[in-house]
Amino acid sequence: MATQNDSSTAAGGFGRVSRTAGLLFRYLLLAATLFGLVVMTVLLLYVANDAFQPLTADTGWHLTYLATLLAPAFAVGAHLYRTNAEALQTGALAVGLVVVSLLFSGGAALLLVDVVVPLELFAVAVAVLAPMAVVVAVVSRDRALSFTAQFATTVAAFYISLFGLPGPLESLLGLPSVVPSLVDAVLYAPYAPDPWLAVTLVVGGSVALAGSRFVAADRGRRTQATVAGAVLVGIALGAFVGPLLGVDPMPATVVAAVGIAPPAVYATGVAANREHERIGLLLPAVVIAGTGLGALATDALGFAGPDSWVTWAFLTSPHSRFAEQAGFYPAIAGSILLMLAVAVLAFPVGVGAAVYLEEYAPENRFKRVVDVNISNLAGVPSVVYGLLGLGIFVTYLGRSAGTILVGGATLGLLILPIVIISAREAIRSVPNDVRNASYGMGATRWQTVKNVVLPRSFSGILTGTILALGRAIGETAPLIMIGAPNVKFAAPTALGEAASAMPLQVYAWSSLYAGEEFYQKVVPAGVVVLVVILLAMNSVAIVLRNKYQTGE
Amino acid sequence: MTENTTETTAEPDGNTTADPTNDEMAIETDVASATDGQNSTATPDPIIRSRDLDVFYGEEQALDSIDIDIPEKRVTAIIGPSGCGKSTFLRCINRMNDRIDACRVEGELTLRGKNVYDPDVDPVALRRRVGMVFQEPNPFPKSIYDNVAYGLEIQDVEGDYDEIVEQSLKRAALWDEVSHQLDSSGLELSGGQQQRLCIARAIAPDPEVILMDEPASALDPVATSQVEDLIEELAEDYTVVIVTHNMQQAARISDKTAVFLTGGELVEFGDTERIFENPDHQRVEDYITGKFG
Repeated sequence: MATQNDSSTAAGGFGRVSRTAGLLFRYLLLAATLFGLVVMTVLLLYVANDAFQPLTADTGWHLTYLATLLAPAFAVGAHLYRTNAEALQTGALAVGLVVVSLLFSGGAALLLVDVVVPLELFAVAVAVLAPMAVVVAVVSRDRALSFTAQFATTVAAFYISLFGLPGPLESLLGLPSVVPSLVDAVLYAPYAPDPWLAVTLVVGGSVALAGSRFVAADRGRRTQATVAGAVLVGIALGAFVGPLLGVDPMPATVVAAVGIAPPAVYATGVAANREHERIGLLLPAVVIAGTGLGALATDALGFAGPDSWVTWAFLTSPHSRFAEQAGFYPAIAGSILLMLAVAVLAFPVGVGAAVYLEEYAPENRFKRVVDVNISNLAGVPSVVYGLLGLGIFVTYLGRSAGTILVGGATLGLLILPIVIISAREAIRSVPNDVRNASYGMGATRWQTVKNVVLPRSFSGILTGTILALGRAIGETAPLIMIGAPNVKFAAPTALGEAASAMPLQVYAWSSLYAGEEFYQKVVPAGVVVLVVILLAMNSVAIVLRNKYQTGE
Repeated sequence: MTENTTETTAEPDGNTTADPTNDEMAIETDVASATDGQNSTATPDPIIRSRDLDVFYGEEQALDSIDIDIPEKRVTAIIGPSGCGKSTFLRCINRMNDRIDACRVEGELTLRGKNVYDPDVDPVALRRRVGMVFQEPNPFPKSIYDNVAYGLEIQDVEGDYDEIVEQSLKRAALWDEVSHQLDSSGLELSGGQQQRLCIARAIAPDPEVILMDEPASALDPVATSQVEDLIEELAEDYTVVIVTHNMQQAARISDKTAVFLTGGELVEFGDTERIFENPDHQRVEDYITGKFG
C-alpha cells in the first residue's frame, strides 16, 4: 500500500518550488560583496598603471619577461595546482616571503643607516642579554629561590647592566659613577666591533636563532646550533659580497639578515622537513631565476624597460620641485619611525586594558559602560584624535609640534580602541577549559594570565595590532592637526624630530605642488609605495593568524 | 590492578594487618565483603565532611542541605541524573564555584576539620591541596614535561622536577608511552593519553584530594578502562572523589557511592556494594535499575 503510494507520487513528480526571489537575493548579495572590492581594484590598477607606466616599455621587453618569468612561473604553478596543491601553497608562500622580506630589509637598512647607530644597538643588546643570562643562571642553580630574591636579582642585574651604579641619579645628585653601565662599557671599549659585525651579531643572531628553530625544530640542540651558526656565517658573508655589488658592508648585512636569510631558511626548512611539499620550492626558484634571466636578456638585447616612476631614486631621494627628481625617502623613514612609536605606545596599553577587561573586571555596570565606550571610541573621527593630540601634547605638555613622539602618541591613541577590541577578541578565544585547568591546579589569576592565557592568545593579539597599525600608517588628518610638516627634505634621525609621513607627502604633492607631472605620476607612485607597504604588513598579520589558528 | 594479582587470591579475613604493605590491600578486599555487615570499612575519620550545604545559582537552588562524610584514601563516587547537582557539589570542595559570579554557598563544608568557606580560607591555597581532573581532557598547549611540571612551578614546589615529573607520569601509567617525547606538545597525544596526562598533572604537586568530574566520559572504551584502573590505584595514596553518570563505572571503581537525585538532594550514601545491591530508597533503586534518569 505504502509503496504503491510512493511510486505513484514519484511517477507524477514532486512538483516545483519557485526559487526566483531567492536566486535574485543571492546574486544581489554577491554583488554587494564584490562591489567595494572591484571598485578598489580598478582604482589601484589605474594608479599602478600611472606609477609604473608599463606601456612605455619596448614590446621586446614585455616578450622577454613573458618568456623568462611569466610563462615558466605560470607553467610551474599550473602543474603544481593539478598535482600537489599543498606544494603550490608552500611555493607561493616562499615567493611572498622573498618579496616581503626584501621590503622589510629595506626598512631595516634605512633605520640602521639613518637612525640607529649599529654600535649602540649592539651595546644595548649586550646589556639586555647579559643580565638575562645571569638571572637564568641564578634561578636554574637554585630553583627554590623565593620570589622576592628572584625579583631583586632580576631588577639589580638589569639596572646595573643598563644604567650602571648609581645610574640616572648620578647627574641629579652629582655623585661620581662607581660602576659604569654595560652599555657604556661596550660603547667605550678599546675594541668596538665594526658596524657590519654589530649588525650581524644582533640582527643576524636573532634571525639565526629563530631560523634554526624552524629548520631543526625536532632534531636536537646540536643540529640547531649548527644551523644557527651556518645562517650567521652566511649573513656575515654579506659584508664581503656586498661591496663587490656596490653596497656598503653594513647595509649589505642588514639585507642579508632580514631580506635573504628568512626565505633561505624557510626554503631549507621545507626541503629538510616536508618531503611532500619540497617540489613547491620550484616556484620561487623559477621566479627568481626568471627575474634575473629577464634582466640579463633585456640588457643584452637592448630592450628598454617601462618609464616607471617608482624607481630606486624615487625611494631614496627627498622631495624636489621637479617631478623627475621628487622622492619619497624622508616620508618613508618618517612613517616607519611613526609606526615604531605607535606600536611601542599602543601595544602595552591596549593589551593591558584588554587583559583587565577580559580576565579581571567583574561583570557590573562599570564594565558595561567601559565596553560600550571603547566601541564608541573606535568610531571617533581621526581628525578629532588629531585635535586631542594637539591639545594634550603640543599645547598642554609643550612638546614641539609635529615630532615623531607627538605623532606616534596621537596615532597610538587613535588605534588604542582597535587594539583593545582585537586583543579582547583574541583573549576571549582562549578556551575556558584551559583556564579552569590552571585555576584547578591552584594557580592565581596572575599565574593563569601569564602562563596560559597570554601565550595562547599572543598570535591573535599580534595580528590585531598589526592590522591596527595598518590603519595608523594611512592616517593623514591627525598628523596635519598636530602640525607635522608636509614635506621634509631629510630623514628624521631622532624621535624628537619633526617628521613627515607617506600619506602627508602624497597629500602635499596632490595639493600644493600643482603640475601635471606631480598629479599624474608622482602621486600614483607614492600611493603605490604606501599601499605595498600596507599590504606587506597585513600579509604578515594574515600569515601569523593562519599559522596559529590551524597550528595549535 | 595488575600489581595486586598476588593478593586477589587471599581470603578477605585472612589478611594480617601487621604488615603495612598488606594493609592497603586489606582495605580493597574488605570493601568487597562489606555487605556482610562486618562494617569493616569502618572508616578512618572523614577527610571531607559537609553539613547542611546549600548552593544557589541566583534564585535557583542547586544543592539542598547535603550531609556527607567522605572517607580518606578511598574512591567515593557521586552518581545521579543530569542536573542533580553532582558536579556542583564537586566544585564546592575546591571552590571552583567561586569562578561563577551568581553562585552562592551556605552551610558547612570542611576539609580536615576546617570549613573551606571560612572567610580566612584562600581558595587558591585550598586548590593546591585539592587537585582536579575535568570532563574534557584539557592539557595546556605546552610540552608534556611542562604540563606535568605546571603545578610544581606555580606552587614553588621544591625538589627535583625531573624526578617528580617521571614519578607522576609513571603513576598515571603514561610514562612508557611518552618517556621519549617529553618535549613534544601535550596536545599531540590521543584523548585517553591526554586525560592521563591531566591526571599526572593533578597528582604531581601531591595534593590530598583528587576531584574528578566525569573524567572518562569523553574517552573511548579502552582509554576509559585504563583511566578506571588508574583511579583504583590512586586511591592507595589519595582521596578520590569522582562524579560519573556511568553507573557501571561507579560500581567498578568506587568504595563509597553517593546518589544525588533531581532537586539537588543527596538521597543515599553508603558502601558501593550495598547501594547497588540493596538500596534503602525505592527512588535510588529505580534510578540504578534504569527506570528513570
